[in-house]
Amino acid sequence: MKIWKAFVIAALFLAAASLPFYTGTYLLHTIYIIMMYMSLAISWDMLLRAGQLSFGIAGLFGIGGYAATMLQVFTNINPLICILFGAIMAGLISLLIGLATLRLRGIYFAIITLAMAEIFRVIIRNLPDTWTGGAMGIVLNNAIFNGDVKQTYWLVFGILLITIVLSEVFNKSRIHFAITSIRNDEIVAMSSGIDIFKWLVVIFVITSTLQGLVGAAYTEIYGSVNPDANFSVHYSLLPLAMALLGGIRSTWGPVIGAIVLGLAGEYLKLLMPYGYLIIYGLIIILVILFLPDGIMGLIKKLTQKK
Amino acid sequence: MMKKGIILACIFMFLGAGIALAAAPKPASGDPIKFGAVLPLADITGKQASRAMQLAVKEINAAGGVLGRPLVVVIADDEMKGEKGAAAIDKLATVDNVYAFIGGMSSGVHMAQLPVLKKYAKPTVWIGAAASSVIEAPMAEQAWYFHLHPWDYQQVGGYITGFKELAAKNPLIKLQKWFIGYEEGAFGTTGYKGFQTLWPQQGWEVSGASFKSALMGGGEYRAALRQAKDYKPDAYLWLGYDADALPMLEQAKEIGFAPPMLIGAPPGWPADFGKSPLAEGVSLFGMWAPSLKEVSKVSKHFWDAYNKEFNEAPATYFAPLGYTNVYVVANAINKVGSLDQDKVIAALKDTKYDSPVGETLTITASRALKNQGFTKQKILQWKKGVQQVLWPLDFKTAEPAYPFPAWDKR
Repeated sequence: MKIWKAFVIAALFLAAASLPFYTGTYLLHTIYIIMMYMSLAISWDMLLRAGQLSFGIAGLFGIGGYAATMLQVFTNINPLICILFGAIMAGLISLLIGLATLRLRGIYFAIITLAMAEIFRVIIRNLPDTWTGGAMGIVLNNAIFNGDVKQTYWLVFGILLITIVLSEVFNKSRIHFAITSIRNDEIVAMSSGIDIFKWLVVIFVITSTLQGLVGAAYTEIYGSVNPDANFSVHYSLLPLAMALLGGIRSTWGPVIGAIVLGLAGEYLKLLMPYGYLIIYGLIIILVILFLPDGIMGLIKKLTQKK
Repeated sequence: MMKKGIILACIFMFLGAGIALAAAPKPASGDPIKFGAVLPLADITGKQASRAMQLAVKEINAAGGVLGRPLVVVIADDEMKGEKGAAAIDKLATVDNVYAFIGGMSSGVHMAQLPVLKKYAKPTVWIGAAASSVIEAPMAEQAWYFHLHPWDYQQVGGYITGFKELAAKNPLIKLQKWFIGYEEGAFGTTGYKGFQTLWPQQGWEVSGASFKSALMGGGEYRAALRQAKDYKPDAYLWLGYDADALPMLEQAKEIGFAPPMLIGAPPGWPADFGKSPLAEGVSLFGMWAPSLKEVSKVSKHFWDAYNKEFNEAPATYFAPLGYTNVYVVANAINKVGSLDQDKVIAALKDTKYDSPVGETLTITASRALKNQGFTKQKILQWKKGVQQVLWPLDFKTAEPAYPFPAWDKR
């Protein structure tokens, strides 16, 4: 059984990695957009597994993007290094925020993270124009890999793989017991010797670094940053909807949710260019109303009946 | 004799009909020539621009098409998101195989499209994205890139000329003290910086205060309006969005703020704004107004055709801009007689098109870009529910209502 599982995973990996050889530019572009949102959705879910609800994706996504772009503008070094720098900066900032706020719980932590994107946006916009480009942002001389779609796809695919591997490490290692215990009952977790604060900070920093990594890659791919666009609440809400649709507290729920919502959005747009967003919104509402455990929950129910 | 006359008359009639048929435009046939338009379809600007583009296509095809082939405009929605706008360019280029890219609205979206547009380097004629600092310089070296909307600095330069000419004609109009209420995002902040730089150069005082636009979850303007009232400006100008228009005026009325000139500068106005009693006397900026149909034949043709085709009135200047967008590219190809890109680009540079926007569109150089279209906006005013043109004086459709009427006297 385990051999079959490994075989299926290897086949899926090979199919995904070789996609640029048999797929057109537009489909590839659409797929790597979906993969970016997928990475954000998985990273959001990783923190949720520890019982912490975050609305701060957009803030860390934007920080990663701005850090990468500013390093690129000031030093003109390899964009891949800039992307790593963006991720590290998002991680460092989240460490500071985490140390200050992760003693808060439930709605209080959620509110803090909700404010993050807005606070970062205001700071970035009010820094000198020569640093951040002010309200209009910065345009880079060129996109990463000179806009080559295949290489861009592999970059985003690599980021997604890192996210999936980390998420699975969270699920399959001892960390899983720690975070599940924290989520279920903090008093029991503490009495079991789990340092709750330390683990929450570690998880928050890891997930924030991933979100910063995606944000940094995004700005290098599209060659620009803009405070309104890169800190848009959209980057917090869509990954959240994807995770809810697919099913929370697993790696594959957000993956399924991102594929369904991402492809549905594109397909509906081609089918009915005017007003497809109404149908798109209705799908999200209906699924959340009638499938509270998401598509993964439905799959589990169906397989259990059998 | 009579019989001969009838026969001759018949021959002439047949000949005449033959000549008329030969001269009439042949319906377009063959493989279509495709233009790819990227627009925000959930927004009124994108929706009406796309409709106006379809109207232009219908007219062009009825007149024989492009190079005798049918013209098709493939429209893609950018959802006002950079990544979607960039993916739309990839789709139009590789799936639809379009010949040229047209459309556009937001500068933020366009910034993310620039690397993809550079990759394909197809003829591109853009009607939106006016933020010069992030668009104009990066595209300066691209010979295939044409930009029709006036840049932000050109718009402000136009307002200066416009207000000076209006004040020269109407000595009552005072322009000495200005207060700018601006939304705190990119649109308002950049605009305010432009006023801070250029207004003092005219000897005009300027001050301002920011507000959070209703579009971004705000809608509280009293603080900015009270500062403006204390400043006692000759003109109050707000830079915001359509969602700010009515609540802004409601709150100005509430605190009794009615400066001699009240100007709004959103990219679009609420559909029924003109029906509100608050609208009377509010000045605004725009590239086009429905009243232009009274002074421009092309504008009247566009107005009538759009109303007839869609059973609705065009409410945003992006509608006539979209219509212009299609005609400009189609005319250039027809003028050249081929799809040779270099020749079409040369023909686009040589554009002379009587646009429904009012002006004859020509291509000139702007600060950094070689291929810039329109260079100014118009100063308009709401009068009896209709936007009237105050300036340029060539297109004037009404005299300015000055001063702005007091709230209790309307």
